[in-house]
Amino acid sequence: MRRALSPRSIPYRVVERGGGLLVTAFFLFSSASAILGPRGELVALVLAGLAGCLLVGYEVAYHRRFAYALTGDTLDIQSGVIARRSREIPIKRVQNVDISRNIVQRLLGIAVVDFETAGGSETEATLRCVSFEEAKRLQREVRRLKAGEADEESADAETATAADDETELFALARRELALVGALSFDLRIPGLLFVFLTGGVPVLSSVLPSGSQLPVVVAGLVAAVVVALVSWLAGATVAVLNYYDFRLSRVGDELQYERGLLRRYDGSIPLDKVQTLTITDDPLKRYFGYASLRIGTAGYAPGAGESGSEAAIPLANRDRVFALANRIEPFGSPSFERPPKRVRRRYTLRYLVALGLVTGVLHGASLVFGWPFPWPTVTPLVLAPLAPVAAHLSWRHRGVWLGDHHVVTRNGFFRRRITVVPYYRIQTVIDSRTVFQRRWGVATVTADTAGSASFVSRGAAAVDVDVATAETLRDVLETRFRTALAARRGWGDDDEDGAAPSTDD
Amino acid sequence: MNRLDPRVRVLWVGRAVVTAVVVGVVAAVATLLVDAIPWWTPVVVALLALVVGVSVALARYRLWRYEVRDDALYLERGVFTRVRTVVPFVRIQHVDSSRGPLERLVGLASTVVYTAGSRGADVTIPGLTPGGADDLRERLKRLAIRAEGEDAV
Repeated sequence: MRRALSPRSIPYRVVERGGGLLVTAFFLFSSASAILGPRGELVALVLAGLAGCLLVGYEVAYHRRFAYALTGDTLDIQSGVIARRSREIPIKRVQNVDISRNIVQRLLGIAVVDFETAGGSETEATLRCVSFEEAKRLQREVRRLKAGEADEESADAETATAADDETELFALARRELALVGALSFDLRIPGLLFVFLTGGVPVLSSVLPSGSQLPVVVAGLVAAVVVALVSWLAGATVAVLNYYDFRLSRVGDELQYERGLLRRYDGSIPLDKVQTLTITDDPLKRYFGYASLRIGTAGYAPGAGESGSEAAIPLANRDRVFALANRIEPFGSPSFERPPKRVRRRYTLRYLVALGLVTGVLHGASLVFGWPFPWPTVTPLVLAPLAPVAAHLSWRHRGVWLGDHHVVTRNGFFRRRITVVPYYRIQTVIDSRTVFQRRWGVATVTADTAGSASFVSRGAAAVDVDVATAETLRDVLETRFRTALAARRGWGDDDEDGAAPSTDD
Repeated sequence: MNRLDPRVRVLWVGRAVVTAVVVGVVAAVATLLVDAIPWWTPVVVALLALVVGVSVALARYRLWRYEVRDDALYLERGVFTRVRTVVPFVRIQHVDSSRGPLERLVGLASTVVYTAGSRGADVTIPGLTPGGADDLRERLKRLAIRAEGEDAV
């Protein structure tokens, strides 16, 4: 059945496009009246009116010429006023149906629908705009058709009920939203402000009475506080705008989320596209018992464009995050095995060398450029006693655990990441040993997964495990990958499994 | 475990020589511009680069191993960082064999194995004879299809 866009999209599109036109018209009007007098005003008015009519006409024609239809297995779209375009997108290839509504669209009750397909880096098709109910219907219908595709044998009604069974997994409470805001710190802003403020320092120092070093130091401190405050406020604002009224629910084989204060997003993440789960926290969140969860999918990270992060759950109680992650991928509760204790000595050495390098560079720079501060250049060396502590913390927060169906790794103290990778998602297993790692008899084993090569979701890495463990780990990962994949694809049990050696040695 | 064709050493040593020459030229320019640098610096720098480059190239050849196992491709390589990679055949997206201009000069070819992993086209097996590269490509392709073929069951 062929459908058209919402008629309310015409005024919206006219206003959206007409904004620029209005500005141009205003300039035309004022310049014309300046040059030609009242007659010019008339001409300009007529011209502007004509352009407005043209625009309205175009948008009406666009609306009339735009038709889409959901057939059994394709989404057909015909569009274009002058150049006609006709597309058929196989439903099976549609990964996500994302709905977004800004504040004007919400007032008009319309929404933009984006259809994402796998592989493509950009949106495959966009409907601007349909009514919100229609958008939700499309989302539902596509999910239902996909579920039907995946399981053709079962009766239609059966899949329909199974697919529409919605359970809410998570809703962000007001208090948690406030916490998300409070804990968000936009790191891009300090850089910008730093550039801006260092430009202001000469001005400041010329205003302030010169003589002692003190005013400059005070100004610097004030600037630092201001920068911190502004970045914190900006981060908090963005976080609140992004995650206001965040809800995540499971509908059939998909996760659906809703979020946003001014602009509302309704998106879906197909469960069978989930590659990794990453639970992140930092010392502050750990202290208060909170954590975040990211869901990594292949190729497409929901919300990556707008929010700059693929966080699925921005913040929640630690236990709740683990419970939730377990509902998406039931991996159990991992008991991590830490790297051998000798790596603590390695980290101590590493931090000391880094500290020495920083001090050396500082000292060298002070010889060339001079040193404006009252303390000596070797001051960073007072941090040296902290190196063993830092090394211990780094060691403490590393670990790897092999579950029945998942490999889970843990890394990082300040930004701790717990990465969960199902065995059947493993793409390659990589065992790498640097010169230094070989000296300490340790290795890094990475279970690489498909997916966006973002910094956070690059598969699970067991860093600095003993070489003997690395050998077993590699074999176990490979064996379990095969059995898991065989089991998942229903190849039968001809693979003898279970014999995989455990790694607790 | 298979090793690479010994002729790949010619290729890698040749590359090291070219790099050494470039480094030497840069050092020579610097010597000409700055008076404080003694005249023999470019020679020493180039020689150093040559020695390091050639020994790394030879070590790389000595350490490179690959093996087509029952259900995975196994690679071992790296001089400073030793890397062992296991690529299950099911995960192979496609296989290329390629011959760069320098490779053609010494009569060699490479096989590139692509997976969907985030480290994408990381898996290149250099230093194969052209026939060997084509054979390996065909063999990997068949193995990948066979592994994936069981999928349909």
